[in-house]
Amino acid sequence: MKVRKSIRAIHRDIGYLCVGLIIIYSISGIAVNHINQWNPNYIIEDKAATITPFNDSSATNESIAQYVVNQLNEPGEITSFFRNSPTTIKIFMEQRTIDADLTTGKVNIETVKSRPVINEVNFLHLNKPKRIWTYVADAFAACLIILALTGMFILPNKKGFMGRGKYFVGAGILIPLIFYFIYL
Amino acid sequence: MKRLTILIGLLILAALINAEDKHFGKELTLDKKTEISTILASPEEFVGKKVQIEGTIVGVCEKRGCWIQVAAKDGYDKIRVKVNDGEIVFPMEAMGKTAVVEGEVYSITPKTTECTEEHKEGEAHECSQEKETSTIYQLKGLGAVIKM
Repeated sequence: MKVRKSIRAIHRDIGYLCVGLIIIYSISGIAVNHINQWNPNYIIEDKAATITPFNDSSATNESIAQYVVNQLNEPGEITSFFRNSPTTIKIFMEQRTIDADLTTGKVNIETVKSRPVINEVNFLHLNKPKRIWTYVADAFAACLIILALTGMFILPNKKGFMGRGKYFVGAGILIPLIFYFIYL
Repeated sequence: MKRLTILIGLLILAALINAEDKHFGKELTLDKKTEISTILASPEEFVGKKVQIEGTIVGVCEKRGCWIQVAAKDGYDKIRVKVNDGEIVFPMEAMGKTAVVEGEVYSITPKTTECTEEHKEGEAHECSQEKETSTIYQLKGLGAVIKM
């Protein structure tokens, strides 16, 4: 009885502690699980535009990049640029990449914006910070194991592990095993 | 005056943070940089060797951040730096930024499903040998510093 009381207290307090992390990891888990259907970190938009073709072969890359940006009336400064070929230029600006074909005048403007909240939770879930966060994540994983184990013994009798609980625990173990052998 | 000093201090700090070099993966160890154009001019000489390159990031893996394309300062040359998924994750914000990258040069020869044997269209056939396309040279990225 005294042991069960301790188990409840441990489960309750670790549960409170883990609420934030469980929500972060769950949201990110769903987001990353569907990475083939969408980009969980960024909102990427493409916009087509046209400029007057540019044929001055003596022009410098800087002046060509500035010409394209001026033609498009794009605000902001040019970060850098790259010539893919003698007839094309890639211009980098804040959150934007401009691809211009100088002979046809066809332009694609790609805008990249961070997906709010989800990008941040993915940053933590996928352990991009590394360093101390690695150990925080390890501690969180250990807490989840404690939550799982203590959760089985919170209630006694029919509603406890020895009653209906064992069937639910069995089903929870069986589900991943079934899928493992199906996809093996 | 005190508030103005604090504000200026914060702005300088913000600018410094913004211009901070971001480190990815292992520390850079090589002293000498190799031009991307030099590697691509005679790539077989560099296969299996560790090199350090510097250039503009002109492409980033959009979903997983598992590769970047680094372009030479001059010319049209660029090389892909591939990293193991999750070990290093390059952000999309790195586009257009200058990067110093260390990695090992390796080659891959992608195979197409096209057969080398002649066969009529629609005719059932089996490929004894698949047609190989040209060899691609990439860097297995070990570490990088990006000037954000």
